[in-house]
Amino acid sequence: MSQSQPLRIFYLEDNPLIVFHVQSMIEDLGHIFVGSLGSFAELKASIDKLEIDGALIDIDLSDGPTGPAAAELLLKRGIASIFVTGQEQTAAQYASRSLGIISKPILLQQLAAKLELFMQHKN
Amino acid sequence: MVSLLHEHHIRGRAARTADLADLLADSPGVLVVTHEALRPDVTSVIAAFLQDQPNWSEIPIVVLLDRAASQSRIEAALNAAWPRSRRIFYQRPVAALELVSGIQSALLSRFRQREVRDYLERELELRLELNHRVKNILASVMSIFEMTRRGAATTEGLAEDFRGRLTALSNIHSVVFRAGGDEVSLADIVDSTLAPYRSDESSRISVYGPQVLVSREAATTLALCLHELATNAIKYGALSEPEGQILLEWKISSDPDPDITITWTERCGPPVVEPSRRGYGTRYIRSALAGLFGQPPDFAFANEGLRCTIHGPLSRVSLKH
Repeated sequence: MSQSQPLRIFYLEDNPLIVFHVQSMIEDLGHIFVGSLGSFAELKASIDKLEIDGALIDIDLSDGPTGPAAAELLLKRGIASIFVTGQEQTAAQYASRSLGIISKPILLQQLAAKLELFMQHKN
Repeated sequence: MVSLLHEHHIRGRAARTADLADLLADSPGVLVVTHEALRPDVTSVIAAFLQDQPNWSEIPIVVLLDRAASQSRIEAALNAAWPRSRRIFYQRPVAALELVSGIQSALLSRFRQREVRDYLERELELRLELNHRVKNILASVMSIFEMTRRGAATTEGLAEDFRGRLTALSNIHSVVFRAGGDEVSLADIVDSTLAPYRSDESSRISVYGPQVLVSREAATTLALCLHELATNAIKYGALSEPEGQILLEWKISSDPDPDITITWTERCGPPVVEPSRRGYGTRYIRSALAGLFGQPPDFAFANEGLRCTIHGPLSRVSLKH
C-alpha cells in the first residue's frame, strides 16, 4: 500500500468484536479507519459529517436488516460500499448498491483485495 | 355438485377445460373428476400439474366412474398418467353422504400436507438463520484470536488469554440460551461472567443493581467487557492482592428515557498507576462500549483503585420495541 494514498474507511457493523478486528486489519493494510456505527439510524444522523472513500456494511444491524438501505443512502451521496456479511444471498440481491461482498468470517487477504475496489472507484 | 359441497361448508369450483390449469395453479384441496371429464386433453393438464407439484404435495383426486365402466382398466391408465396423486374411486350413482365424507377426509389429508409444507419452510428459515449465526460466531472467535495474538507476549500468555475470552463467550452464550428469549437479565450476565473469579472468595466482588433486561447482542458485549475488567484486576488490580475488593454496581435514572450507569470500582489493591500503553483488552472495552452506548466509558486511575464508569441511554442496550 505504500505507493498509493491510504483510503478512509468507515464500517457499519453492530458486533464490536468484528469492528475491532476489521479496524486492526484496515490499519495493518495502511489505510485509515474513520470509525464505526451500529445502526442505519445512527448513520442517517451523522452522514453529513462522514468524509470517507468507502464504507463496509453488514446486512443485519442493531435496527434490523437495514444494511441495504444504508448502502443505498451512501450511493446517493456518491459513496461506494462493500457488504461484509454471513448472508451472502441477501447481499447478492442488492448487488447494484455495492462494489462487492466480503464473506464472514473475514480474512485479511480477502479484505485487502476488496479494498482495492474502493481504490479503483476513487481514481 | 358445487351446491352439495356448499351445504357441507366446502367451497367448490366447477372447472372448464380452458380454466383447469389456472384453477389447479391455485393449489386446490381436492380435485373431483367425473367419468365424462377423463379425456386426453383434461388428463394431460392434470398430469402436468401433478408433475410440477412441490415435494410436500400429493393432491387427493376423487374420480366418479360410471357403473358400467371397466374400473381396473381406468385405474391402470390413471396410475400411469398421474404419478404422485392420491386417488379415491366412486361408482355412480353415489350417495351424497358417502361422497361428501370422502371429500372431507381427502381435505383433511391435504391440510396435513400443507402443515408439512409450513414445517419445511420454517426449517429452511432456521437453517439460514443458523448458518448466519454460526458465521457470526466464527467471525467473533477469529476477532478474539487476533486481538489476543496482538496483545500476547508469550505463547503461554496467548493460550491463557484466548481460553479465558472464549470461556467468557461460551458462558454468555449459555446464559442467553437459558434465558430463552431475546432478552437477558444483567444480573445473570454478571453472575456467569464473574463466577470463575468468585467461586472461592465470593466476598471480594460485591454486586448491586436493580433488575434490568438487555438484548442478546448487548449481553455478549457487556459480558466480554466485564471479563476484560476482571482479568485486568487479577493481573494488575485489586484481585492481584489478597485484601483487594471490587464493587460492581448499576443504576437506572428515573427519566422518561432512562440512562443506565454501571460502575466498576476497585479498592485495597496495589498502588494504581495509569498504564503507559493501552492493552488490547482495554482498547476493546473502550471501542465496544463506545459502540454500544454511543459514548466511551470513563477510566479513572484513582489512588485507592481503578474505577470504570459505563454510562448511556438504557434504550441502546434494551430491546427495541
